[in-house]
Amino acid sequence: MKKLILIIIAIFSLQLNHSQNLSIESNLDGLILNIGDTFQAESYISDLDGNKTTCERLIYYQKDGAFNVGAAIDPTGLFVASEPGIFEIVAVCVGMEGGKRLSQTFLVGVKFPKASSIDFNVNGELYVGNFAEVNSVAKYADGKEKSDLNFKYESSDPAIIKVDDLGNLKAIKKGSSVISASFDGQSVSKKINVFNNPVVSIDLSSDSKGVIKTGDVINLSAQLKDKKGNVLSGIEPKFSFSGVSTNKSTTASGLISEKGKFVADIAGEYVINASFGNTNSSIQVKAVDRDIQKEIVKLGLGEVFDRRTSDAWFFEGADGKDYGVSGTWGSDGTAYFWDVTDPTDIKKIDSIQVDARIVNDVKVSKDGKLCVISREASSKRKNGIILIDVTDPSNAEIISEYTTNLTGGVHNIFIYENHVYALNAFANPAKYYVINIEDPKNPKEVGFFEVDEPGSAIHDVWIEDGIAYSSNWKQGVYLVDVGNGIAGGSPSNPVEIGNYRYDSGGNHAAFPFKSKSTGKFYVIMGDEIFPEGVDGNTFNETAGYLHFIDFTDLKNPVEVARYEVPGHGSHNYWVEDDVLYIGMYTAGVRVVDISGELMGDLYKQGREIAKYGTGHPDGYVPNSTMLWGAQYYKGNIFYSDFYTGIGALKLLDKKKDNSNTNQFASDQTLKEALGAEDLLDFFQILASPPIE
Amino acid sequence: MSKKLLLSILLIPFFTIGQNYYAYVASESEDTVSLIKFDGKEAVEAERIDVGFMFAEIEGPHGITVDPSGDFWYISLAHGNPFGTLVKYSTETNQAVARTTLGLFPASMEISNITGFLYCVNFNLHGSMKPSNVSVVDPETMTEITKITTGSMPHGSRLSPDGLFQYSVAMMSGELFEIDALDLKVSRVLNLEKKMMNDKKMDGKMMNHDNMKGKMMSNDKKENMMNTMDGMKHSMVKPTWVIPHPQENIAYVAGNGSDEVIEVNLDKWEVSDRFKTGKGPYNLEITPNGKLLIGTIKSEGKTAIWNLENKEELAIIKNTTSVSHGIAISSDSKYAFISVEGIGGEPGIVDVIDLDSYELVSSVKVGKQAGGIAFWKKEI
Repeated sequence: MKKLILIIIAIFSLQLNHSQNLSIESNLDGLILNIGDTFQAESYISDLDGNKTTCERLIYYQKDGAFNVGAAIDPTGLFVASEPGIFEIVAVCVGMEGGKRLSQTFLVGVKFPKASSIDFNVNGELYVGNFAEVNSVAKYADGKEKSDLNFKYESSDPAIIKVDDLGNLKAIKKGSSVISASFDGQSVSKKINVFNNPVVSIDLSSDSKGVIKTGDVINLSAQLKDKKGNVLSGIEPKFSFSGVSTNKSTTASGLISEKGKFVADIAGEYVINASFGNTNSSIQVKAVDRDIQKEIVKLGLGEVFDRRTSDAWFFEGADGKDYGVSGTWGSDGTAYFWDVTDPTDIKKIDSIQVDARIVNDVKVSKDGKLCVISREASSKRKNGIILIDVTDPSNAEIISEYTTNLTGGVHNIFIYENHVYALNAFANPAKYYVINIEDPKNPKEVGFFEVDEPGSAIHDVWIEDGIAYSSNWKQGVYLVDVGNGIAGGSPSNPVEIGNYRYDSGGNHAAFPFKSKSTGKFYVIMGDEIFPEGVDGNTFNETAGYLHFIDFTDLKNPVEVARYEVPGHGSHNYWVEDDVLYIGMYTAGVRVVDISGELMGDLYKQGREIAKYGTGHPDGYVPNSTMLWGAQYYKGNIFYSDFYTGIGALKLLDKKKDNSNTNQFASDQTLKEALGAEDLLDFFQILASPPIE
Repeated sequence: MSKKLLLSILLIPFFTIGQNYYAYVASESEDTVSLIKFDGKEAVEAERIDVGFMFAEIEGPHGITVDPSGDFWYISLAHGNPFGTLVKYSTETNQAVARTTLGLFPASMEISNITGFLYCVNFNLHGSMKPSNVSVVDPETMTEITKITTGSMPHGSRLSPDGLFQYSVAMMSGELFEIDALDLKVSRVLNLEKKMMNDKKMDGKMMNHDNMKGKMMSNDKKENMMNTMDGMKHSMVKPTWVIPHPQENIAYVAGNGSDEVIEVNLDKWEVSDRFKTGKGPYNLEITPNGKLLIGTIKSEGKTAIWNLENKEELAIIKNTTSVSHGIAISSDSKYAFISVEGIGGEPGIVDVIDLDSYELVSSVKVGKQAGGIAFWKKEI
C-alpha cells in the first residue's frame, strides 16, 4: 500500500513539475510565408530539459479574432496566407492535468509580394523657386496598389531639381532633370522640366472691408502677372500667413485654405502672403474680437429631480397653447407632458407610464395632435413605439403600440408627414423602419433603410424637406430621399443620395441647415464620446464635437469647420436663423453664432454668444450639469437636462453682464476702490477692526 | 472523551461560524453589477459596480459568469454599435481588465473547464429572426476565436461537466444545439417541438430554414407546435435554457412557450421526458450534488424546485417581485440565489432560497432588471 502511495505522490510531483516548466514549441515559430501559401502547424510540449511530449489536443487561433480578414488559421492549425503582414497565432494545449492549459503565441510573417512595377507623378509644372510633391505607387500582380512605402528618390541634376527623401521637389533653375523613384527592385525615371518663373508680380487683395472680426472668412484674390503685366492663367499661388496676437499672453492663430480663404481665430495683426516661386505679395489684415456675447437668463424650470430626463420636444398644441413632452431614462417608463405657454411658470400637466425603463426619444406631429415615444428595456422585451393622442396634452391617451421588428429597443424616432421613422439601432445591419401612421390605431410598416455593410450601426434620424439624415456612428451621416423627390425616393422607397463619414466614428446626431446669410447648405454632425467610460452617479467626462459639413454639392461634401468646447462633449442641437443651440452635456446650453461662411475652429474664433449651466442643488445629481438637448421655440431656448428636467432660457439682446464675474483686480483698482496700495495692504485693511 | 467527540467539538466552529456566500448579479436596465454577500441569514449588496462605456446609452449587462479559478468575472453587454461586448473583471478589485467585441446581443455564457474558452450565445432579438451564433472567446487573451452558427435567438449557454460540450437552445427555432468544445463545431441538433419533428435525431445537420419558406406545418392548429412566417420557424416551445446534469448524461431544457421542462437523454440524443411547470419557465440550474433542479417561472414571478429522482415538484416559491430570471446555486448545494427583474422603475431583487427548507430566507435590492447571476465563492 505504501508503495502505491509513493508511486502516486511521485507521479503527482512529476506532473506538477512538468506543468510548471512546460512550453509549446511549434513550426510556426519564426515562420515566414508567401502570399497564397498554406501551412500546417505542428506543435508539441517541451520541458526545460528539452524533453518533448505530444499535446493531446491543440487548438489554434489568430489574435486578430473572428473578424480577421487577412491570413487565417483554423483550429486544427491549417494556416492560409492570404494577406501580407505579421500575425499573432496562439496555440493552446487543452486538457492537461488538473484542468490546466498551456498557451503560447507565435509570430508568423506573410511577406509582401514583390512589386511588379512602380510609378509616380508630379503635381503640376515646376517653375523656378517652386516646390512640388511626387506621388509614387507600387503595383502588384493581383492588381493591388500601395503608396505608403519607403520609395527612394534621386535627381540626375540636383543643381536644377533637388529632391528629398519624402519625394518633395524643389526647382532651382531652368532646365531638366531625371527624377528616379525606386522600391523593391523596381524603378522608374521621368524627365522633369523646370520652367522660368513667368510671374513677376502678384496682385493680392481680399473681399474684406478693413478690419475683420475673428471668425469672419475672407476670400483672397491673387492675380499672377507676367513682366508685361498680363494676367497669367492656369497657375495658382500658394497662400500662407503669419500673425501677432493683440493680447501678448496668447498667440495668433487662424486658418488659410489652398483656395485662398482666411479666417482669424484670435484678435491680432496678420500678414497674408501669396507666392509663386520666388515671387511674393502680402497684405495685412487686422482682426478684432468678435465680441458677440449676450446675456442669457433663466425663465423657468420643469423640475424632474427624482429620475433622469432624456429627450424633450416643444410644440404648439391643437389649442394654440405651447406644450412640451419629455422622456425619462433608467427609470420606470414615464413620459411627462408640460404646459410651457408661460415659460416662467412651466407646469407638469400629465404623464404616461409604459412598460419600459427608458423613454429615450419623444416627438410630436406637426399638427400637435400625435405624440410618439420610444421604448427600451421593456420587461417583456417587446419595446417598439407608443402612439399617444395629445390633442389635449393634459389628458394624454395611448392610442396604440407598435413593436414589429422593433422588439430589441427603439432609441430614436422622428415624425414626418404621417410617418414615423423608428430606429432598430442594435441590429446588423442597423436600420430605420418607416411606419405609416395615417391610422394611428393601426401603424403599418412601409419601408426601411439600412446601410448594407458588415457591422453598420445607427443612432439617430432626422427628416427635413423629405430628406432623412441618419447618424450611423462609424458610417457617418446618410442622406436619403424619403419624399423630397431629388432622387425619386418615398417613404416606401428610400433612396440614398449622399454620405459623409469621418475618422472618429462617433457620429451620434445630424442636423441639416441652410445658411441664411450665405445660402450654403450644411449638415452638422455631432459626436458622442465618453473617453473615460461611465460612472452613473457622478461627474462624467464627455468628449467629441460638432463637425460642419458643407453639403452644398451633395456628391462632394467637404468638412469645413468644427465647434468644440475643450473638455466637454456634444449631444443634441438645433439651428434657427444662423444661430446654433446646443446641449453640450457637461458644458450646458451653448448658443453659437454660425452666420456667414464657416471655416476652422468656431469656438476659438469667439463665436459663442452665451452659455448656461443647468445644475441644481436638488437635482438627481446635485449641482451637476448634463445637458441632453436644446430647442429654439418661439423666441426662447428650451432644453432637457439629464439631472434636472426641462427648462426655458431667454437670450437677451444686450451685452453679457460681467458685473458679478471674477475680474482680476489691479493695484490701481484696489487703490481706487479701497484705498489699498497693494494686496498686502488690502488684506491688512480687511483685518483691521471696524471703527467704532 | 472519545476521539470522535473531540473531533466533533473541534469541527463545530467551522460549520457554524462565518460562512459567507458571494454571487454577482447583473442589472440589465441599470448598467450595474452587484456583488451579493450572504452570511446564511441575510443577503446584502456588498458592492455595486458600474459597467458599460457609454453614459447616455443603456448597454444592457445580461450574461455573467465567474471563471473556474474564481479570479475573474465576465459580463456580456448586450447593446453596442451594433455589436455587444464581453468585459473581463478582476474579482479582487472589481475593475475591468480587458474587453472584446462579440455578436449581436451577447447573452448567457460559461467557461469550459477543459479548454478554458468562454462560450457566449449571441441572442440577437433584433428584427426578423435568423440563425445567430455562439462566440468562442479565449479569456486569457480576450480574443473572440470564432463564431459558430446555431439557431434563431440562442440562449442559455452551459457546458457539460467534463467541459467537452457546450449546450444552448434556440428560442425561436426551438432547437437544442450541442457544440463540440474542442472542434468548435456544432456536433448535434435536436428539435424540441412536440409533434412535428418528433424529436428526430439530426446527426449534426443544421435545419434548413429555406425549405420551410411559406409552409404551414400542420392542419391542426392546437397540435401545431411551430409555424413559419417569412421563411423562419417560430417555435411554440420557445426553449430559453438548457442545463446538463452534473453527474448523469441528461440535460434539462426550459420550454418557456410550452410551460414545461424537457428532459433530454444526451446518450440517445432524444427527448426522454417532459413535465409541466408554471407559466413561462425561464432559467434552470441543478444543484452540484445533482439532486435538485431549480427553475425560475418567469411569468408568475416564482421559483420551482424539483426532486430529480422522481421529478416531483418539491416547492414553488413566490419571489419578492415579478419576472423571475436567473439562478445561481452555492457550491455546497445549500442555497439558490434567484435574480428577479421587477417591472419598470422597480429595483431588481436577489432572493435567497434555502434548499433544505425550500424557503425564501433573505432578499436584497439591486439595480433594475436583475438578470444574469453567477455564484462566486463560499468563504469560511
